[in-house]
Amino acid sequence: MGKASVRNRLFGCMGAAFLATMPMAAHAQEQGGTLIMIVQPEPPSLASYMSTSQPIGQVATKVYDGLLEYDSDTVEQPALAESWEISEDGLSITFNLRQGVRWHDGEPFTSADVAFTFMDVLREFHPRGNNNLRALEAVDTPDEHTAIFRLSTPAPYIMRILSSYESPIVPKHLFEGQDVREYSNANTPIGTGPFRFVEWRRGQFMQFDRNEDYWRDGKPYLDRIIARFISDTGTRTAAMETGEAHVTAYNHIATEDLDYLDSLPHIEVTTDGYEMMPGVNFLIFNTTEPPFDDVRVRQAVSYAVDRQFIIDAVYNGFGVPGTSPISSKMIWYSDNVRRYDVEDRIERANALLDEAGFPRGDNGIRFQITHDIQPYGEVWMRFGEIVVQNLAQIGIEARIRYEDTPTWLTRVYTNYDFTMTSTSYFNFSDPVIGVHRGYHSNQIIPGTVFVNASRWYSQETDDLMDKAAVELDFDTRMALYEEFQQLIVEAAPHVFAVEPSLVTVYNNSVHGLLESPFGSFWGMDRVWIEQ
Amino acid sequence: MTKSHKRLLFIAKRALYGIPVILGIVIVNFLLLQLMEGDAVDALAGEAASATPEYMAQLRERFGLDQPIYVQLFAYVRNVVMLDLGYSFRHDMPVLDLIMTRLGPTMLLMTTTLFIAIVMGIVLGLLAATGLNTWRDTIISILALVSYATPLFWVGLMLVLLFSVRLGWLPTSGMETIGAGYTGLERALDIARHMVMPVIALSLFYMAAFTRLMRASMLEQANMDYVTTARAKGLTERRIVWGHVLRNAVLPVVTMGGVQIANMLGGSVIIESVFGWPGLGLLAFEALFARDLNLLLGIFLLAACMVVVANLVIDIIYTFLDPRIELK
Repeated sequence: MGKASVRNRLFGCMGAAFLATMPMAAHAQEQGGTLIMIVQPEPPSLASYMSTSQPIGQVATKVYDGLLEYDSDTVEQPALAESWEISEDGLSITFNLRQGVRWHDGEPFTSADVAFTFMDVLREFHPRGNNNLRALEAVDTPDEHTAIFRLSTPAPYIMRILSSYESPIVPKHLFEGQDVREYSNANTPIGTGPFRFVEWRRGQFMQFDRNEDYWRDGKPYLDRIIARFISDTGTRTAAMETGEAHVTAYNHIATEDLDYLDSLPHIEVTTDGYEMMPGVNFLIFNTTEPPFDDVRVRQAVSYAVDRQFIIDAVYNGFGVPGTSPISSKMIWYSDNVRRYDVEDRIERANALLDEAGFPRGDNGIRFQITHDIQPYGEVWMRFGEIVVQNLAQIGIEARIRYEDTPTWLTRVYTNYDFTMTSTSYFNFSDPVIGVHRGYHSNQIIPGTVFVNASRWYSQETDDLMDKAAVELDFDTRMALYEEFQQLIVEAAPHVFAVEPSLVTVYNNSVHGLLESPFGSFWGMDRVWIEQ
Repeated sequence: MTKSHKRLLFIAKRALYGIPVILGIVIVNFLLLQLMEGDAVDALAGEAASATPEYMAQLRERFGLDQPIYVQLFAYVRNVVMLDLGYSFRHDMPVLDLIMTRLGPTMLLMTTTLFIAIVMGIVLGLLAATGLNTWRDTIISILALVSYATPLFWVGLMLVLLFSVRLGWLPTSGMETIGAGYTGLERALDIARHMVMPVIALSLFYMAAFTRLMRASMLEQANMDYVTTARAKGLTERRIVWGHVLRNAVLPVVTMGGVQIANMLGGSVIIESVFGWPGLGLLAFEALFARDLNLLLGIFLLAACMVVVANLVIDIIYTFLDPRIELK
């Protein structure tokens, strides 16, 4: 028996002894092994401090840490910050930083890194930075292990954006003196995270090896993580089935393959682990032109859309009906709104259209529209096809248009040259970050994608959002958002269709994958493989 | 002038002709790609699912997309002339480096496939033509028709299903075993193992085309006067086929082989995607959807060069196969 296996057994015993006090322990964690994760598409870069692209989130979080982590109940947990305190007036937050943490190049991590990251990198260059951190005026560093955020207004959402995905902490000593956008180590990142970047072979894989010096004792369990890029969906399913890959998150497996994979003894399929990635799929109307400048026509379409059928037929059951601009996964969600998924919805829709002055012609058609589909693949196409059928039931003849992504983005978010399109917004960790952008009048910004493309707004809803953004009292904030949801659902600038589930598929030799509420956007230091 | 002098002069002349052709292609490609709606910044922002106007303006400025088109075109052509293919902002790498890392795998796949497809195509076409209307001809013709008509991605997935999932003999995808650290012969064998399925899938398709072409070409030659003469002279059928018909019948197959070199970049998009092969086709495909124009133009330029060179090589091969063709 070799030395390594003795050590493994020792670790196993220690783990078991420790876990004996915990009720959930089923196995003892094992040290070592390589985890192969399918990531798709290949990330354009590793610069997670200036791009929030999904594949980047999956890889860069292995290298960079955040100030905080979040558990499955989305409660803040210590990471680089060991503890924190929010002042009574909500205008300052003090973070006590972990001591003895080192960057992968051996330099010590200090409060200067935190100040630099937030003030000079994230606030300036992160795509959501100037929204996430709009209240942040300064970061004070009274000593090496204390960082104090100074805010211009109370900002309750700031505590929700401090994960390694949303706000990665980067090394000041390497960035300093360079243009952040041209940072020379962007694709050979140095972080404080559980894994060190080793290699990126373009078109094939990225390799991350265990950070022996990680601040969390005994972690990470894995020796290595490989992110593989396989662009064909059929091949991804095959690679999971043969065991060539261990895990793939964020719906990289086609929904029609999920039942089959789930039926295999060595594969698990789960929708757990995305508590902080709530999203809603919806239709956007162009509310500045007929016919959808009339709220009755918008409501009629919302009644016509058969949400449960879409979930069953398109998402293979992986989702729940959409009812509100805020996902039902979020604490701010309210179901006390107008419901469009009622029994007599077709009658109601027809009545609304009659009332709005769109009678059926001789051929039974009231009017014709073009339905632009968000060009993100098969699933969106089928979603659109069902919407077209639903609309036909109420006398609206819709024609589908499917373009490639940049063309569609320009059409919808720059030229507003559309009547009705489909899309999805992540709510992210707080409505201020993920929801306001779709409805506030200050979010009508030509050329900026995934903001208010319907161009609908009202003074009332603007005021509600402005108040909720700075409200520290939980119950008051809750009430503001309830009223906001009621008004939006009533005005129906969007048809909230489906809250699709995000799906992770993994080999059951892998454990501890689902500890983060961000899917695979985390360091995976507590993931281990049965050898 | 001796024959070899003439040949050198011919090559030099044809190479010179190639320059304006390639330059023209560069300009036309550049202008064509400008017709697409949306740019690299839209695509990046689309993936990120959110972006502020400041951020997008910043990126456009950095990528030079805020300049007028003629300025961008002039800068691009000037750079290409100096052999600088520009920078891929998406991949954060010089285009030339990016293409070079992908060229190897594509060439490996392409040359192996083309070699197998041409050799098999010629052999099968020959067998079919010499056994005209027998069971041998029928089987080969049906086989060719079926392989030609079957979509590449389907063949690929079926191979994966059979050899990887059911039998477990071959890896589903990739070019080599990641993290295995093989070197030398071991590595070559590992790559060969990964190549089996993509090469089979891709060569089946091209083999079918070459088989049908070869068969038709053989039959056409069989009716020529020189064959009648040879027969009258008392040569055996075998001598006629091997000594006279084959050499003439191969010419169109060689032409086709050259043309297919450019086509195979396209055909390999599907195969590279199904088998996760890190080649140029997939890179071009992704570049298109990311509006990574510098990269796309770089790949187009390479493809154009390959076609020009392939045509030149074919013309030279012609002169060996058919001495009557003159070098002008």
